[in-house]
Amino acid sequence: MSFAIETKQLSKSYGPVQAVSELSLTVEPGQVFGFLGPNGAGKSTTIRMLMALQRASSGEARVLGLDPQRDDVELHRRVSYLPGDLELFARMTGRHHTDVFAQLKGGADAAFIKELAERFQVVMDRPARELSKGNRQKIGLVMAFMTKPELLILDEPTTGLDPLMQHEFERLLRETVRDGRTVFLSSHDLDEVQRVTDRIAIIKQGRMVAVGIVDDLAKTLPRQIEARFARPVSRTAFESLPGVKVTAMDGTRVALEITGDIAPVIRAIAAHEPVDVLSRHANLEELFLNTYRPSVAEEVK
Amino acid sequence: MSLKISRLDLNLRRRSLMAYVVGMALYTLVIVALYPQFRHDTSLNNLTKGGSTAAALFGITGSLTSPGGWLNANLWANFFPLVILLMAVGYGAAAIAGQDEDGLLCLLSTLPVRRRSLVFQKAAAMVAQAALLTFAVMLCVLVGKSFQVSIDPWHVVSASVAIFLMGMDFGLIAMAVGSATGKRGATLGAVTCLAAASYLVSSLAPVVTWLKPVRYASLFFWSVGNDQIVSGASPADLVVLVAVCLAALYGVVLFFRKLDLH
Repeated sequence: MSFAIETKQLSKSYGPVQAVSELSLTVEPGQVFGFLGPNGAGKSTTIRMLMALQRASSGEARVLGLDPQRDDVELHRRVSYLPGDLELFARMTGRHHTDVFAQLKGGADAAFIKELAERFQVVMDRPARELSKGNRQKIGLVMAFMTKPELLILDEPTTGLDPLMQHEFERLLRETVRDGRTVFLSSHDLDEVQRVTDRIAIIKQGRMVAVGIVDDLAKTLPRQIEARFARPVSRTAFESLPGVKVTAMDGTRVALEITGDIAPVIRAIAAHEPVDVLSRHANLEELFLNTYRPSVAEEVK
Repeated sequence: MSLKISRLDLNLRRRSLMAYVVGMALYTLVIVALYPQFRHDTSLNNLTKGGSTAAALFGITGSLTSPGGWLNANLWANFFPLVILLMAVGYGAAAIAGQDEDGLLCLLSTLPVRRRSLVFQKAAAMVAQAALLTFAVMLCVLVGKSFQVSIDPWHVVSASVAIFLMGMDFGLIAMAVGSATGKRGATLGAVTCLAAASYLVSSLAPVVTWLKPVRYASLFFWSVGNDQIVSGASPADLVVLVAVCLAALYGVVLFFRKLDLH
């Protein structure tokens, strides 16, 4: 099978600093692949190697079957890239950006650019320097999608977008993969990634710590519950419950980490006159701290 | 070769380019127009009498009241090279290292264009900027005939080409240093020091004996340090300046190919 992206033992070091270490992954065509990790984990460095912006210190990469260093022109013709911390030319408007870059990329359908601009409600006629971070990001998204590339490599694409636009972005991702195209999505927004991706890989300090199907990985995550009560409660009321760890206790407030069944926890909370309850999945930091220890550094599926 | 990236860079710098060109043209016209007022002021020549070190520091040699001497002292030996260097070195440092630091180069480097072509297009943008500035100054000097600034037009043209080439040399050296380091500030610092040293060597060589052999290493010597506005740039001057251009351009291609972009 030919993969949209394939890396073998891909490594990158800057002097003594090992940014990416022996990274091997495969991305199948026609799927959204989430690439997760906190800042400094090596996500952007990996992406830059895939996009021929940086040379690998060792290992191999193939993007759409192409060698990024040798076939960079062909690769850039078929792949769109949205950099993390996108910067635009300050004096140029959104329209100027899309016109110029569509031309430089070899052309794009003007009607599709217009449609994208409308969907993301992009301010197209003001210089980039006068736009908010979110508006600049929307221009970047239009530039990435406008040529309908075979593969999109998006580094933190929803930074600065409001929830409505994030929703629109997710719709666009689904439409893109429905067309048989592939999206490689780097993010540290776990919720977003869980909603849109088919498979994910997580790297930490340049090394892969997990790769697999989102639902399978999510099952291993502890759920977080915070509850506030009318009166102080005892720690033992929760500690004795199976699969429950009390992570914080402050008089009337308790924070719990749940790996087992949630029903007994809810019953225990309800028995102590709760005034507020917040339940959420673990965020990425908690995921790394609690879940992705070396023991799970293997493929779930 | 497509020049779309050259056009983009030129478009982004059109305001500063116009300011350089209009400012320099106006300055040149003022210098030229003032010449009739000073052409008989023999006291001016006291400054350069006997190979004055102070005059040498400003790159001035020979008679200040002759058309060539007047232009050399007020434009050719100092202000014109300085402005063309400001423009070329500024662009050279910004074109690769600066745009990479600003996070903009990744947008251009992920276009279906070879890195080598990107370098050539940026060099072409530098040529266009330096050529426009040089042409404006040259034209203003040539109209100086109406103000008694009579110089052989061929000397003006060849001397202008020599300054243009020197601007390109330092600009491309800046682009090469920027491609090697990826740092705009370091590039500006290093190339400015190099240009200053080159200027000092060329201008002080006539009065400092031990500097004389070193002057051949100075790009200023090959472009303005040999009274090119008075006697025209020689083929040797132009060959040296073109050779340095080509070597620097080769350096840019070589370093940029290996540069890790952000």
